Amino acid sequence: MLLALPPLIGALPASDAGTPAADLRRAALDSTGVAFAGYAQAAGGLALPVGEQLTGVADLLSDRTTMRAWYRGPADWRVDVVSPTGETGVHADAGGTWTWDYVASAATRTADTALALPTAPDLLPSALGRRLLSEATDAELSRFGADRVAGRDALGLRVVPAEGSASVGRVDVWVDAASGLPLRVQVFGESGGEPAVDSSFLELDLTTPEVEVVDFAVPPAAEVRAGQDPQLLQAATRGTRDSTLVLPAALAGLGRRTIEGAPATVGVYGRGVTLLTVSALPGRASNGLRTALAGAPGAVVDDLGVRIAAGPLGLMLADGPDGAVLLTGTVTLDALAAAATELTGEAP
Amino acid sequence: MIAVELRKLFRRPRTWVTIAMLNALPVLVAVLLAVTDLAPRPGEGPVFLSAVLTNGTLYPLAALAIVLPLFLPIAVSVVAGEAVAGEAQAGTLRYLLARPAGRTRLLVAKLVSVIAFVLVTVVVVAAVGYVTGQLLFDVQPIGGTTLSGTTITPEQIAWRTVLAIGYITVSMLGVAAFALFFSTLTDSPLAAALGALAVLIASSLLFTLDAASSFAPYLPTRYWLAFVDLFREPVLWRDVVRGIGLQAVYVVVLVSAAWANFTTKDITS
Repeated sequence: MLLALPPLIGALPASDAGTPAADLRRAALDSTGVAFAGYAQAAGGLALPVGEQLTGVADLLSDRTTMRAWYRGPADWRVDVVSPTGETGVHADAGGTWTWDYVASAATRTADTALALPTAPDLLPSALGRRLLSEATDAELSRFGADRVAGRDALGLRVVPAEGSASVGRVDVWVDAASGLPLRVQVFGESGGEPAVDSSFLELDLTTPEVEVVDFAVPPAAEVRAGQDPQLLQAATRGTRDSTLVLPAALAGLGRRTIEGAPATVGVYGRGVTLLTVSALPGRASNGLRTALAGAPGAVVDDLGVRIAAGPLGLMLADGPDGAVLLTGTVTLDALAAAATELTGEAP
Repeated sequence: MIAVELRKLFRRPRTWVTIAMLNALPVLVAVLLAVTDLAPRPGEGPVFLSAVLTNGTLYPLAALAIVLPLFLPIAVSVVAGEAVAGEAQAGTLRYLLARPAGRTRLLVAKLVSVIAFVLVTVVVVAAVGYVTGQLLFDVQPIGGTTLSGTTITPEQIAWRTVLAIGYITVSMLGVAAFALFFSTLTDSPLAAALGALAVLIASSLLFTLDAASSFAPYLPTRYWLAFVDLFREPVLWRDVVRGIGLQAVYVVVLVSAAWANFTTKDITS
């Protein structure tokens, strides 16, 4: 009987409130003020062949990540990644984040920047759900029933991207019926099957966490480091300042977006869950990546360069007139090739 | 009868030799660390071991983490596996049951003595670890740092260590229940102990497989390492509570099975 209890409780029918899709999306986007404490797991099924560079990002997208979160507001939260023998905690305040790494016994201060690599807090269902719903149009949205997530009634909201170049087949978000908080997010590739990313709360408590739990003080004897994101951004600007790469207003049918503070040689195209990032890459950075990409299963190597798909995520290293160009995003391989052709003027 | 069984267990030199051997490895590790000043890199080796060079108060936990995966379960399996099968092999079971006390009381007495052995063993490992840590490593007067990066006082470390000792004892009760159940099935204490160890090795192996994730939460070793969660801030009770619940289910089911088997069995030796 003890063994049967959890599945029985989980199988309790969830009530479907019949909320329209557009209203549910609005409720999810307005949930940034909902304070909570929760326990979540995210599983990524994306095998990124990035070699020794960006191993942190690759692990995040291919492993199971267990997180504890305390959220008081958009600039006052804490997310811990819990492993059996260690912990990495990110504490956000108005100026940026402190990242505590128990294994390294180091605290890293990172200021908010326009462009940053994905980290574990980005995978939390509440943050991921809001991000993926933020630019969805009403025509892309639909409802698909209800379920119980973390013991709460959650309403299903589906996004099917309208762009022809999209590699994401659909995004399913379960939104808390009472608070609007996204409780579970699943991202599927074009072919459906297993989700490429699946992030869900397993426990959720909607009471405001104590200030002491969220605040961070550097422990004595801990090493203090400066975050890498601003340096990465500087390096990207410095390393590519001689590049003559001209970024057009549109690529592969996707319009260019303006991002404050991003270097001129980095362009972001598209909208919603269909995004393409283009950046000139310094020579020494591109060589290692080229070898890793060419060696990955399913890699396409032609006159344009080398491109691969890891689930819905496409990666391409194109040979530009003066140096390598990195194209990456949630677009199909055909869209990557079309974008590279438009950039370099070469036919595949 | 319980007092008789306890006296028998703790008067046996073999019991204390087992406990002493169990302590040898953590003491050897501590001496090596103190002499060479080479702790494993953080995140490698047994949990808390990388931190002991700068904070000796954590050594009881490191010592428990060293023996938890293999040595402690072996010791518990050997003692619990011998409880009934040992008497049967020595030919004394018939005489024990000739007393009017009955089979249920004998099984309860055996169970209590096994639980006492588990508790004494875990406490001795922690105590020897404490003395070793105080003698060989620096002890920080201000306490230590939790996994979450907050500072905790020596009193808090002491309390949480006591909780960890309790939790590890409970974790070992599942092993003891397996061995005790097997001990009622066979007349060979070795077979009973190896049976319990085989279950644990299978459980540890299956836990590492993604393909077995559907029943991973029910594996007996699943929550063993959850005592580490007591050293997060706030304490993460989720796995600790589940671990205690899971061990309780194993103990109740296996001891019931052992009782059903033992009370209806033909005793021939």
